This record gives sequence, structure tokens and C-alpha cells, in this order.
Amino acid sequence: MVLLLTSFTACKKWVENNPHDRFLVTDLDYLKSETDYRTMAVSVYSPVQWLNQAVVVGDIASDNSVAGGESASDVLALQQIDDFTLTSTNSTLLDLWQVAYEGVNRANYMTQYKDKNKAGETVNFNGKDALYAEVYFLRAYYYFTLTKMWGDVPLFIDKRLNNSDAKLLTRAPKVEVYAQIEKDLNAAIAALPTTQSQKGRVTKYAAQALLGKVYLYENKFTDAASVLDPVITSGAYSLITNYASIYLAAGENGPESVFEIQYTNGSPYFNWGGVTRGQGNYAVQQNGIRGLNGIGGMPYAAGWSTNLPTQNLAAAYSAGDQRKAITAFNIEDYKAAHPEYNISYQVAPYKNTGLYNGKYLPRKGETSGQVELNYLNNFRVLRYSEVLLLAAEANNRSTAPNDTKAQGYLNQVRQRAFGDVAHNITATGTALKQAIWDERRLELAMDGDRFFDLVRTGQAANKLTGFIAGKHEVFPIPQEEINVTGLTQNPGY
Amino acid sequence: MGIALLFCFVSQGYAQTLRLTGKVTQKVDGQALPGASVTVKGTTVGVVTDVNGNYALNIPQSGGTIVVSFVGMVSVERTVTQAGTENFTLEDNANNALNEVVVIGYGTQKVTKVSGAISTIKSTDIQRQNPVRAEEAIQGRAAGVTVIQGGTPGSSPTVAIRGIPSYAGSAPLVVIDGVQQSLADLNSVNPIDIESISVLKDASATAIYGVKGGNGIIVVTTKTGRKNMKPEFTVNSSYGVQEIARYIGVLNATEYGAIVNEGSVASGGNVIFPDLTTLGVGSNWQKEVFKTAPLQQHTIGVRGGSETVNYFLSGGYTSQGGIVGGIDKSRFDRGNFTANIDFQLSQKLKLTLNTTGVILNSKGIQENSFNSVIGSALNFDPTVPVLNTDPNSVGKYGYSNLILSEVYNPLTKLDNTYNKSLGSKLYGKFEAQYDILKNLKLTSRFGYTKYDANSKGFTPLVFYGPLNVDNSMNADRSTVIDKHNSVNHDKVSNFNYTWETFANYNFKVAEDHTFETVVGFSLAKESGNAAGVNRQDVPFNSWEFADYSAATGTNTATNPSATGGYYYQYFKRNMSFFGRLNYDYKEKYLASFTARRDGSTAFGADNKFANFFSGSVGWVASKESFFNVPAINFLKIRGSYGTVGNDNTPTQATTIITGGPDYGPTANSNGYNFSNVFYPGSTLGTTENKLLGWESQKQANVGFDLTLFNGKLTVTADYYEKRVGGLLFQPATVYTGGTTPVPAANIGSTKNNGVDISIGYNETIGNGFKLGNTFNITTVKSLVTATNTDGTAKIFGGSYFNGQSQQVTVFEKGQAPGYFYGYKTNGLFQNAAEIAAAPTQTGAQPGDIRFVDVNGDKVINAADRTNIGNPFPTVILGWTLSMSYKNFDFNAFTYASIGNDIYRAYERNGNYTNKFRGVLARWTGEGTTNDARNPRYSFTDANSNIRASDRYVEDGSFVKIKNIQLGYTFPRLMQGKVFKSIRIYAQVRNAATFTKYSGYDPEISGGVLDTGVDRGAYPQPRTYSMGLDIKL
Repeated sequence: MVLLLTSFTACKKWVENNPHDRFLVTDLDYLKSETDYRTMAVSVYSPVQWLNQAVVVGDIASDNSVAGGESASDVLALQQIDDFTLTSTNSTLLDLWQVAYEGVNRANYMTQYKDKNKAGETVNFNGKDALYAEVYFLRAYYYFTLTKMWGDVPLFIDKRLNNSDAKLLTRAPKVEVYAQIEKDLNAAIAALPTTQSQKGRVTKYAAQALLGKVYLYENKFTDAASVLDPVITSGAYSLITNYASIYLAAGENGPESVFEIQYTNGSPYFNWGGVTRGQGNYAVQQNGIRGLNGIGGMPYAAGWSTNLPTQNLAAAYSAGDQRKAITAFNIEDYKAAHPEYNISYQVAPYKNTGLYNGKYLPRKGETSGQVELNYLNNFRVLRYSEVLLLAAEANNRSTAPNDTKAQGYLNQVRQRAFGDVAHNITATGTALKQAIWDERRLELAMDGDRFFDLVRTGQAANKLTGFIAGKHEVFPIPQEEINVTGLTQNPGY
Repeated sequence: MGIALLFCFVSQGYAQTLRLTGKVTQKVDGQALPGASVTVKGTTVGVVTDVNGNYALNIPQSGGTIVVSFVGMVSVERTVTQAGTENFTLEDNANNALNEVVVIGYGTQKVTKVSGAISTIKSTDIQRQNPVRAEEAIQGRAAGVTVIQGGTPGSSPTVAIRGIPSYAGSAPLVVIDGVQQSLADLNSVNPIDIESISVLKDASATAIYGVKGGNGIIVVTTKTGRKNMKPEFTVNSSYGVQEIARYIGVLNATEYGAIVNEGSVASGGNVIFPDLTTLGVGSNWQKEVFKTAPLQQHTIGVRGGSETVNYFLSGGYTSQGGIVGGIDKSRFDRGNFTANIDFQLSQKLKLTLNTTGVILNSKGIQENSFNSVIGSALNFDPTVPVLNTDPNSVGKYGYSNLILSEVYNPLTKLDNTYNKSLGSKLYGKFEAQYDILKNLKLTSRFGYTKYDANSKGFTPLVFYGPLNVDNSMNADRSTVIDKHNSVNHDKVSNFNYTWETFANYNFKVAEDHTFETVVGFSLAKESGNAAGVNRQDVPFNSWEFADYSAATGTNTATNPSATGGYYYQYFKRNMSFFGRLNYDYKEKYLASFTARRDGSTAFGADNKFANFFSGSVGWVASKESFFNVPAINFLKIRGSYGTVGNDNTPTQATTIITGGPDYGPTANSNGYNFSNVFYPGSTLGTTENKLLGWESQKQANVGFDLTLFNGKLTVTADYYEKRVGGLLFQPATVYTGGTTPVPAANIGSTKNNGVDISIGYNETIGNGFKLGNTFNITTVKSLVTATNTDGTAKIFGGSYFNGQSQQVTVFEKGQAPGYFYGYKTNGLFQNAAEIAAAPTQTGAQPGDIRFVDVNGDKVINAADRTNIGNPFPTVILGWTLSMSYKNFDFNAFTYASIGNDIYRAYERNGNYTNKFRGVLARWTGEGTTNDARNPRYSFTDANSNIRASDRYVEDGSFVKIKNIQLGYTFPRLMQGKVFKSIRIYAQVRNAATFTKYSGYDPEISGGVLDTGVDRGAYPQPRTYSMGLDIKL
């Protein structure tokens, strides 16, 4: 009997599960040092990279580009977004929803254990507030992406969402989401430095610029002007003369860059089960020209042609605009200009426009490992030229409009584009507003802004074929999520 | 000899007797039979044969009837009236196996006393099949067991005992000589070394294995020596040739050219092949990749025993080449070395040492996808010549200038496939048995399996064609920028052991009440680790130099993947207490009760232990005095009920992971780069469910065993029902929760029910013509009765790619596990008016498929996807026919699987990939066809005719003649003194398949969510072989 009891106690130990036996670091072991906090903050940035399809969607859903591909049934999710035949079952949208919320959850986990870690200890260090300011910026960025795409969305900031909380989820009104975004950005502005020694970390100016953009989405023009003007007057940024050079590897994080999503080919990734979730920019492969071959110094590599700029976009540029050639890259023109490369390629099999996204074309030597998934091209999501255009619009539309200032900002952008003052805009009032909106398209095309801009400015129904007002301003809440949580669907879907 | 002498001495006392001497031998091998009883009928006069099978007996002067009997053999009677020599030959009591003993968990039981559901396969049945893997011998021979074989040499088939109770899989526990192993370990057992296989099917038989018993148990018993047995040598040798049995109909070059032209023009493009007359039939890629391949199996064994030591020694070699690419590219080699030895150290103490060393080597090719070797053969451009005709490019084989990625010349693919895997396994047991009392035996057993594998693969630089974008080598043999060849080495090392101690106590109360009991405990551990390295830049782009030490790749800022490595380890521990009580009253009323308590590291802190109970009762009606049906020799009615479990879930923890890319199911990656330098990051990697516990399975079984007409006809039938509660399952993903994986939970339930029937019919006709038939009938109905409370938790699988990534199988509430999920079709739209009248279907044009509006909302969308098929058969039939006449024997095995559907997923559907012959019957105008499988052909497919739909579902029911063997045993005269028996045979495996399925082979094995999805699965070969069985 004694033997049996002893063996039983010993046996209980035999089936005990101690994660340390498996060399695992548990949540109780972590956030015990400054390094832990800083390392964890790095991963709050990661989902920003995974959001690269939000950039693609921003143009494909608009009049800027079409989802090409091998055939009509290739990249179906993007085709449906392109053609406004989309339903609540869309793999791209589902992925973006999950990724943006992973960002929110990662930020929340850090804010939950800011004062005390899981084990109940307090860890203080120099720069903790500035580090958390980055976290607040990122959470604002995630919620801004979510509300731009879906309108009213679930809002929670206290912790990581637990699976058992699913049934309690509800969609918060857009205003509440924007209020939280403003709150997070203001907290970020208060503690962020104006420069960071590591390129790619967010700065005070990035937070101000983003807040300015958020205010425009809320039609708070006066607030927008007051937060954007200091970014301009700081003199921290300048416009690069050669527009195309901004988009070269050498142009990354340059003087015009306010916030840029960082990608690298230095950490090769090969998970086809989550194509966007590595350190490479998957969208670059989507832009590439099919079957492209060339000899000598031909710099470009082949891709999938699933994001093709439209002739409509190309036609929007006036003669002499240096932005056209790179934004709507014409492969036939390029081939003719470079006979020495002996270029051959496959005409895009579906929705061919003859044009490619030259800003983010795959280039030889800029990827590694699984080549499709590891292009190094950063996404230039917030450049100084946009800050100028945002500020121009804010000043033009504020309660006390300042069109002179607005023109000045706008014409800085145009002067860079044309290299002269002959193309300056002199209009005022509503005409100036339209000029600023038009300029936004030309300046920011293929940077993922157009569709959201058209919706924001109320132009979508006029400009987009198939767009139904009152429905397509927002995307459908993923059906998979509705099934599980009982969230309500957006109207019309 | 001593006994014989004694009787000689005693017999001196009788004067008026006849003296008989002689030898008793076994029919099967002509060997002496010691211990057989030789008696005079109706008297108490009798002797037992000595170690050489000899006897001497005095019988009354008047003569008498001599009865010779031995346990498990048919008694022989012969009337003797004069003195002299009388030899007897006894035959195995195969027809009336009522004295047989079956191996069950922690013991054995007389077959007539079993009240659970058990199927048994004997060594003779296994040998007639001559299988490469033991599972082949079970297929169709054990009622209640579904076996779906694959064609890859050495590959593991899908095995399900009585349906698919769990998402975690259906693989049963395998117990080899008492030692717990996995289904995968059956690949290392030489089937010829197997004495018997018992399949334990119901809870009363499996509950003794508790949490491991949920999927049933395959109990394998290997051969051993017998006490005082003369050495018996056996040699079994066979050689065969394997070939592909059928081809899939694809277009020839002219047909291909025409359809490509049509597709291009229909989508507004140019004519691609202006002159079809130059194309001819082109290349037949299937004929190029399928080759004949050898299959050889050789085993030498010896067994025997003395007073204290019994032994079985065996050495075997099996080599199976693959028919895809031939033995150079695809093969499985196995060497087995077995020593089963037991030592009777004293009257009470016996030690057993079973040791088997196995060498497992293999080579493989890319399989099971549209761009695998088979997939490429099916989809590649037939206008391309087999050999390269372009003097300006490297490469032995032709290339396409139309297909520029993904699908390549299959021969180029095959040519550039380099890998090998060298594995070694050591398994066995060390066991001590001590007889404390006459009927109380204590056994302590340490069983182990040690596996090490070392594999290597080489990815060379390849030139696929001048315009191909996937080239890593240019036409002039130079390397494409950023491309490298690479070599990878992987090592796996596992060690699993079980230490069990148990006591068996058998006793009787008041003579007629028999009790057989066992109690014990067991500790088990599974552990393992793996490590690997990879490196780029192998010298000379050559397999010869493909080794980490020869490769030169070094990581740089611009190429961080030039070399790398990984390591991981795992373990899991279980502990259990168990006991069983078997009772019978005069072998007429039977009862059994089993209990087991299990603990596992895999389970939540708050739910560590679980108890499993089962009970069964039986009634041997034929033993009742009132039972008087002359035709019925034996009738037993039995029933059982009990619980078993499943702990097949990973050990949990709430962890923080630090690093970069994540390759888990949710790609929960970390890190970011600042100033172009990558910084690792950390996040919550996994969470735990503290309540996670056992999947508990309640099983009920009723059945009967019937023997009629003196053993000529036997029937065993069972009805079973299994209900799983607390199914280990992944809760529905809440996407708002992000990408941290959600831990498994005990949600959901499944139900399986069906009937197992075995019928045996044996007859001797005329002078020596023997006929044997065994029929096995298995029906299975599996249903997922619940997942989470609202049924939203479901798991998708069956991924394939046909231009889009598709998933076609689902495990969800209200459906069969792994059923096919997609759109239903309803013919083709013949004209615009039909499209206008139909529910809104975006992109549809005349000639496109009309999909069914299942939910009736007037729109065809994802919500209309529904059940379009079930990959698992509802009825399985196995028929073994054996005949023998004089020295000839014939054995045929036919297997039928009914009700299983197949999803055809090997068609790539690219604009320039080859098409299948169905396209010739495509829609070409109103009224041409209304067959949804053959819509109009166009490069652009706005209707998405290629979406997952019943267009690709085919009835996979089949009848296969799996095995035909004709043998001839040489007459003893010719065999002389050296040989005890010589038998030669000819065999054909997979002789014929009757099916409507259009692919290679309707048996598509895989996990629950991959079974029946044919992505170009490796077909089973047809094999012609010759063999030789010798006994010395």
C-alpha cells in the first residue's frame, strides 16, 4: 500500500507539464527587463508589414489599377474588389482584418503590462514613455486602417482579445474609433522624439502627420491645419527633385520620408501559408511583368501582373509630368528605349493595360530565398509631399480658409513634378479643393491611397464603375468573423 | 525417449498385447510433433510422443481404434489390428478454430471465451499475400478495418478501425509483442516474421489501453521458437516487376494546339499555333516518366528451442523501386534483423529478449501536386520534343516557350531530383516473467523503439527553358543572378519506451467458475529531437559534391540564406494503472470487466487524469443442454460497452516567442527592420487551455459467432456504435483575436456506426480438392455531430491549386469527416436568356457552368457551397479464395470499396498547360452539350468554371483483384533429406481494377482531410512476381 502511494505520487510528477522542461519561455518569465520591453515593441511593428495588401487594395478598388493575373479566376479576391462584385467571403479582406487586429492585440498586450508585468513586478527604464509612444502610434495606425476599410469596428484597448470574449464583441461607432485614434496619436506626439537614430521608427512628425490625415477623414480641417503646419515649418523634410529616385532602394527613408513601412530581403521567409507575414514585400511580386526576360543590365525581374495601372491613370498626367513614367510604367516604351536588353515578356493575360507599377516593380538582386516573398522595397505610405497636400486641403477647407497657404503647399508639389512654375495652380475655393484632390491622385497613385481618398471626398460614385453609393464606401465584415462573433454586417452585403 | 522407455518397461507385464511404434508429424511442414497424445479409444491406455515425435504403445490383442490428438489440431483415428509401425500426420485445425487463443492486451484468451470484438489474421494468410507492409495483409481481411493504400514505395496507408472518430486522426495504436508502437512503425516489421495480427475493435478489448485505445489497436505477435523444437530453417525469396496499370487521357499535340488556339481566340487573343498539321501526336509525357521497377523480398529465418532456450532468428531484405522515374529516383529498401530469444532460467523465472534492428533507406520524388513529377507529366505541353533540340541551350530535355513557370518538363524535373534518406531503427523488449504461485505470474517488461534517420537533399541549378522565369541556370550554363544551388541535411532521432509491470492471476471457484485477472501499471515516454543544416553553392552543381562540407556558401548582408540550421526537441509522458477481470462459468456464460486510469503531460493542469471502464458479456448458447440444433456446432452471443480515449494533442504552454518568421499555422511572425537591419521581436506565441482533457469515446458492440456444419461455415457479425464526446478540436478562429494560435479544446462530438461481418466457408471436394472462402464485409457511417456550440468551428483542408488556391475538404458539424465541400453544378448555360433567368452568377456566358443556388437567395456566391461528396467508403468487401489440389495451391484476394468519392485535383488549368480528354466534348454552341464537366473553353474564365465544384467529383468505387498467387509444392520424394518442403509460386498483385474513376488509381490515401483528393497521387503498381519458399 505504501509502495503504491509512493509510486502514485512519483507518477503524478511524471505527467506534470512544466514548460521549462521544454525550454520554453512563458508569459510569467517575460517583460522582466528593458530588453524584454524593447524586443516586444519591435513585434508591434511587424503587422504593419503584413498590411501590404491594404496598399494594393487602395489602388485596385479605385480607378488607378486593375487586378490582372493569369485569368479572370486568378487572384479572385482582388478581382472581386476591382469589379465591386465582392461578397463577405474574401480571403484578402479576411487576412487584412486579422492582421490589423493582431497589431491591435500586440499593442494592447504591451499596454496591459506597462505598469506591472504578468508576474506583478514593475520594470522602469529610461525611454519607456517614448517606447510606449511608438506602441500608441502603431495602435492608432491599425485602428485607422480598420475604420477606413470597415467603418464601425470592434474597439478594445485593455488586453489581448481572448477567444472566449468572441461572443461579447460588438462594433463601436466610427466616431468612438476615431476618438481612440486621436487619443493614441496625441499620447504618441507627447512622448515621441522628432528624430530616431534607427530609420523606420516612428517620430513625433510622423504621428502629427498621421493625426492630420485622420482629422481630414473626420472633416476636422482646422485641427488638421494646426497639427500639420508645424511638421512643415519644422523644416525636417524636403522634396526630392527626382521623383522616380524616391522609389529606388537607395531612396528609402530619404529626406521626403515621413512614415515608411520597412521591408528587407535580409531575413528570408518562405511561408506560403502566410505570404505577407515575412520581412519581404509580397506586393512587389504582384506588380511584376510576366515572363520578363532580358540580358545585360536589364534591372527588372518577372512577376505576376496582378496589379496593373490603368490607361485612365496614365491619361490623368499632363505632358511634362515626371511622375507619369514611373507611376504608369509602359513596358513597350521601355523595350523600345532599350534594344540592348533584348527584352521579351508575356503580355498580361487578363485585363492587360500595357502599364505596370514602376514604383514597386521587382528588381533583380532585391530579393532572397523564396524570391516571390522577399522583396526589400519599403512602402512609402506617408511622404512629405502628402503632408503638403494634406495641409493644403486643411487650410483650404478650414473654418478660416487660407487659400494662399494652400496654393503654396500644393504648388511645391507641382513644381517638383514639372520642374517649373508654369504648372502652378492659381485657383481658389472649391476649384482649389478639386485641384488638391486631383493632385493627390497624381502624386500618390499606386501608394494605396486613392480608393479611400475617393470615398472620403465623396467622389467614389462618380469616378468608379460598379460603385454603389451607400454600400461600397466600406468593405463587408468578413463572413467568417460574423459567423463566430455575431457581428453585424455593413449595409448592402 | 525416457517416456518411451518407461512404457517399454511397463509393457513387459502384458503378454497378450500388440506392440505399436511410430511417429507423429505435422502435415504443414512434415516436422515431428512432440507431446501429442496417442490413446486407445474407450480405454485409459495411452502415451505421449517424445521430443522426436515417436511413440511406442501396447494395445490389446484384439486391436482397437487409436486416437492421436494435439491441441489446435484435428484428431486422427485409425483402427489397428496388428502390431507394427503406424505413423500419423496431424493437420492444423484451421476449419474449426475453437481451441485457438488470441492475443489481447496484457495476455491471451481462448477464442471461445472472448466476449469483445476482435479480428485475427494468421501468418499463412499474410504469407500468401507476400506484402511489403503488414497493413496490406489487413486490408479486406479484418472486418471493420478500412485500409486505403498509397503507391509510393514504403508509404504508410490510411488505416481506420471502425470509422473516423476524431479529427486528430484515425491511426490505431500498434502493439508489437506487447510493446506499444505507432502505425508508422509497421513499416519496419518484416511481414514474414509475423505469427498473427489481432485487431482489437471494441471498448471491451481496447479499454485496457485506455487513452491510447480510441482508434482501435493492431496487436502484432512475431514468431518465436518452441521448447524442444529442432532447428527449422526457412528461406522465402521473391522477385517481381512492377508497372503502371493505366494512363490518364490527355490531349495529343494536335488536339492541344487546337484547344489552345480556341481558348486564345475566345478571349480575344491571337492564334497560337497557325499550322496544326505540323504538330502530330507530340510527346507522351506519362509514358516518359513511368518506368518498370523491381520488387524483391528475401528472408532467411530459423527457429527452435531446447529445454531452457527458445529462439527465432530472422534476416530479411526488401527492395521496392518506384514506377515513377524508376528505382534510381524513387525507392524503398528495408533490411530486418530479428532475434526473439527466451530463457527459462529456473522453474519460475523466464526472461525474454526480443530485438529487431531495421535499416530503412528511401529515395523520393515530388508528389501529390499539379507540379509534381506526375502532375507535370499530365499538365506539360505535348508539343515539346522529349529531348532538347536547341543547340544553344543546356539541358538534356526539351522545353516549352509557352509554359514559363510552375510546370516544367517532367523529365527535367525528375533528372534534377536528388535525395536520399537513411534510417535505422532498433526496437524490442526485455521482459521477465516470474511465477510467484502456480497461477500467479508477475511480468515486468521494458519495451522500446529507437529511430534515427539521416537524410540529404540537393536542389541543383536548373535550366527549364530560355523564357522560363523559374530558371536558376541560364541557357549558357551560367547562374541566374541571386540563384544558388543548395544542399540540406536533416537528422531525426526518436526514443520511445514503455515500462510495464503487471500480474496475471487465474483461479477457479467451485470448479466451474473460472477467473482470469490482470492488474498492473505502466510508464511511457516518447521523446525525440531533430536538427538540420543547409548550405548553398555546391561545387560543380553536382550531387557527387552535395555535402555541407563541400558547399561554399557563406552568409553575407545581401545573401543571408547561404547557410542555416535548425534544431528542435519534444517529449510526452504517460502513466497508467490498469486491471481486467475475465470470468466464465463452464465456458458458457462469459463476462469481462476492464478499468484503466491514465495521466498525460499533454493535458491541462486542471484535468490530468481520466478513468476508462468497459464491460462485456457473452453467452455460448450451443453449450446449453437444451440447445439441440445438429447443424450448429458453436454459437456465441456477445455484447460490450465501455469508454476509451485519445490524447493526440500537443503539450501546451503559454509562451513568449522571440525571433523572426513563423512557420506555424497562423504565421504569427515577429521582428522588424530598422535602418535595413533586422531586429528580432517577441510576442505571445501560444496559450493554454487549463481544462483541456481527454477525448472520451463511448463504444457499444453486439455480435455473435457461429460455427455450422462441423466447421465448414463460420459466421462472425458485429454491430457497433462509437460516440465521441469532448472531441479534441480547434475552436473557431476569432480573427479579431489576431494570429496567436488558439489552443485546442474539448468541443464537439462524432458518431460512427456500422456492421462488421466475416464469413468463412471451407469445403473438401472429392479426393483432395480443398476450397476455402473468406468474406469480410465492413460498413461504416461516420458523422461529426457537433463542433463548438454554434457549429462555427470547422477545419478546412484538401488544398490544391488549379490557378487559384482551393480547399475542398472540411471537418464540421453535421457532415461526414473530411467531406468534399464546393458548388453543385446544374449543366451549362445554353444561351443568354438562360443566364438572365437564372440566379445572379457573375461573369457567366453561354457555355459556362450553371451553379446551383443552394440557399435560394438568387445569388450564386460562397454561401452556396455544400456537400458534394464523401471520400470514405460506406461499404468495404474483401474476398479471399483459396483452393488446393494435391501439390497445387491457389489464392486470390479481391477487394471492393463502395461509396467513396474522389476529387480530381491534378488539373492545373493554365492557359498553356495540357488539357484532359473530356475537353474534346466541350460546349461549342447552343445545344452541343449540357454536361457541366465540359464547359466552353476560353483562356479567360470570368465565370470561374474552375472553382471547387462537383464537376471534379467522381465516383471512386472500385473492385480490385489485389492478389493472385498460384503455388506448387514439390512432392517429398523429390525434396530428399535436406529439404522439408520446397514451394514455388507465381503472383500478380493489383491484377485488375474495375472502376469508373478516370484517374490512375481510386485508392487515394492521406490524412482525414486529404483522403480522396487526387493531386496526381502515386498510383499502386501492378506487380508480376515469382517466389520460392524453402524449409530445411
